[in-house]
Amino acid sequence: MFYLNNREEEFQEKLTVTKLIELKKYTYKKKIVKINDEFINPDEYSTTFIEDGDDVKILHLLAGG
Amino acid sequence: MKILKEYKYDFTEIIHGYNNRSLKINLSDMKIESKQISEEMKQKFVGGKGFGLRYLWDAVTPETKWNSPENEIVISSGPVGGITQYPGSGKSIVVTLTPLNDTPMDSNVGGHFGPLLKFSGWDALELQGKADKEVIVYIDGNEGIIKIMESNIETIDSHILSEELTEMFAKDETDKRNYSIVSTGSAARYSNVAMLNFTFYDVKRKKVRLKQAGRGGIGRVFNDKGIKALVIKYEGVKSDLNNPANISKINRAGIRFHKEMNRYDDEQNGMRKIGTANIVEVMNDYDLLPTHNFKFGSHKDIAKIESKVFIEKYITQNIYDGCWHGCSMSCAKAADDFKIKTGPYAGHKVIVDGPEYENAAALGSNIGVFCPETILELNFYCDTYGIDTISFGTMVAFAMECYENKVFTKEDTGLDLSFGNIDSALELIHQIADGRGFGKIVGMGIKFMKKYFIENFDADPKFMFDIGMEQKGLEFSEYMPKESLAQQGGYGLTNKGPQHDEAWLIFMDMVNNQIPTFEDKAEALHYFPMFRTWFGLVGLCKLPWNDVTPHSNKYSKEPAKMPEHVQNYVDIYNGVTGKNVKIDDMIEESERVYNFQRIFNIRMGYGKRTNDKIPYRSMGPVTIEEYLSREDRYDKQLKEIVGYNLTNKSTEEKMAVLREYRESQYEKLTDAVYKRRGWSKDGVPTIEKLKELGMDLPELVDIVSRHL
Amino acid sequence: MKILQFNESLCIGCHNCEETCSKVYFKTEDISKARLRITEKVDDFNRFKGCNQCGDCIDVCPEGAIYRMKNGAVTVDKKICVGCMMCVAFCSDFHYHDDYVEPYKCLSCGACSRSCPTGALTMKVEG
Repeated sequence: MFYLNNREEEFQEKLTVTKLIELKKYTYKKKIVKINDEFINPDEYSTTFIEDGDDVKILHLLAGG
Repeated sequence: MKILKEYKYDFTEIIHGYNNRSLKINLSDMKIESKQISEEMKQKFVGGKGFGLRYLWDAVTPETKWNSPENEIVISSGPVGGITQYPGSGKSIVVTLTPLNDTPMDSNVGGHFGPLLKFSGWDALELQGKADKEVIVYIDGNEGIIKIMESNIETIDSHILSEELTEMFAKDETDKRNYSIVSTGSAARYSNVAMLNFTFYDVKRKKVRLKQAGRGGIGRVFNDKGIKALVIKYEGVKSDLNNPANISKINRAGIRFHKEMNRYDDEQNGMRKIGTANIVEVMNDYDLLPTHNFKFGSHKDIAKIESKVFIEKYITQNIYDGCWHGCSMSCAKAADDFKIKTGPYAGHKVIVDGPEYENAAALGSNIGVFCPETILELNFYCDTYGIDTISFGTMVAFAMECYENKVFTKEDTGLDLSFGNIDSALELIHQIADGRGFGKIVGMGIKFMKKYFIENFDADPKFMFDIGMEQKGLEFSEYMPKESLAQQGGYGLTNKGPQHDEAWLIFMDMVNNQIPTFEDKAEALHYFPMFRTWFGLVGLCKLPWNDVTPHSNKYSKEPAKMPEHVQNYVDIYNGVTGKNVKIDDMIEESERVYNFQRIFNIRMGYGKRTNDKIPYRSMGPVTIEEYLSREDRYDKQLKEIVGYNLTNKSTEEKMAVLREYRESQYEKLTDAVYKRRGWSKDGVPTIEKLKELGMDLPELVDIVSRHL
Repeated sequence: MKILQFNESLCIGCHNCEETCSKVYFKTEDISKARLRITEKVDDFNRFKGCNQCGDCIDVCPEGAIYRMKNGAVTVDKKICVGCMMCVAFCSDFHYHDDYVEPYKCLSCGACSRSCPTGALTMKVEG
């Protein structure tokens, strides 16, 4: 199990940030990713794996509309 | 044209963003007067929407209706309005009592009229009374002359009228850029959702462009007052006309922002390519794109109307599209030489201003239309007929759902109003403009339609109120709020009704989960509406605030607030006015006007808790079809959040439990928000709160005392 | 068309060029108002910023105020310019000063090169 934006998610082997964003259909471009409070740069999304117990934040930067 | 009245005035210098006077024109007796603006007025109401509401309050009584002669249309930009260095600095707010329910409406609009009005010597324009014969009001801001002229122009629709007037008044091609026209269209004669078009002259295309004060039927009031058009001329716009206290702050903030646009827009929102319509597919991906009268949040045919289609096939690229000088965000996109297929302009090649996101959703997915050319044609006709695109979409979506539920039939209306019926959607818009057939009913708005369908078609009142997406008479704008409680509040707990200009919290709430508790949501429903109200006080557009994200943002503690951009606003506001305010002071300035507007609503018979309720369609699944379409989601919530045992339960049973839960959540949210805003349980601002804000004015205390 | 050329190995950082430019156009020897920039470096050659008159800025101006003069240099029509600063953000060869509404740029007049004591700045005919 890991946390995504403080909600529980089922842990999967070999889940990268890229894959998680795909699974969640998080297509909005202006977002930031933090794992255990560390920023992940976009060029590291495909090589960063989510570990069991991680605290993942994918924050969408839009309060507009 | 025959001149009915002429008025000459002297110029005074604009000091730190203010002329310190406003112009009042009464069309009944043709009286024109200059009114001083006091320091107290500026301190308490700032400008823009604040001035509009104050003047309107003074003009009307609780008995005043939208078509009473004393009702006013007030147009005002604001102290920052008219600077040219920072994007989005040419906005005006238009205020009036709306025909939708006779309460104060405010609608913000681009185009050049507001800033040119200020540079012509006036911080606000009040239009009161009714002319016997249709008039054109002309303001020459260089000569200092105002003329009321008897109109001899037969043209009604905005796209031709504004072009004719620009041609008629401007000396030559170069002079055209100095004009702005305000007008409405055919629909203003009959429809409660008629709007105003404000022009700017597009020097690159050499065409007159239209921007809309869309919401709340202001065009109908304009027409009722016998005004054909307002024409303003001011030659000589420069960045320092506001006589700013510190131009350096404004220059620096502007250049910094322009650089950000150059650097980031292509990889972020693409505002310069397609404007706000960049989010059509994003909203669909997050199940937020209103589809079939807000039943669903996405549709399989989305690819047909996604932003790429408009960019590649219709919207002219690589051309400046700012609706005021210096807007590097440049989102007022347009399709040039678009060929119209139906109606009075069939065969014409026209410029279509849009589509903005709202138009693509309202004229597209929400009425089941997934055809870009129909969206553009409806967009064009909405604009030139003077119809609010948002209300049109939400109204037609409602009528279509009623039709599909056999509330009425084709025999009743002459139209097959199934979702996605393009011919019927187009026929309806022409009917609304001419006040004929079923279009006459639809054009009156959802509030009217609900009553009409109950009385004439024996419609089930409960179903009407569940699916009719209006509140306080105003149709919902185009975001699906079902899965975000905070956004239900963002729509419902508002002054003028369900328009997302107060708060858009869906990502913060539903996706980011940054505001989980009622108190968190209440804090957001305090901060954002106040922060966003401020744009309308000072003459600014909200889009540059967060439609590009600066590099610094990811390191910020509260990224949703865009702290670097907020600092820019502090800088340009202080730079113009010479004040030394901080963000908290700006929030307080908004709170004064916000509470004033709330009390104004109460004075007019709306604006308490009962008026803040929203239709269940905005909160959850009304029909079995909706529930089943997202069954896994709803079942999961019932099981995990509500703690409801789903075994052997029918869909109807599950829907009832879910509804009870969601409605109670909204009530709890309402309690928390009222508390945060300093209001009673019934939504009335307390005297203590008014004192804290320095707004314990006798006329306000008098109203609230009767309701506390 | 004449374009300003910079030979970094000859520049001694005297700023005569900037003073002259400011004097020619603004009647004051204030290098913050010059239409070119020399930035002094301690461990490196001095840096130069000056316009090559490419004209990419012409389409950037929303008002249509930027145009190419007969001599080939690109300039701002002060009558049309509203002072939006979009050109300044687009290209570092546009300059502005809070004393003036309209941004300004090098017009390839050559006054700076004539004031350069070392020949680091010269005007070269191109195109």
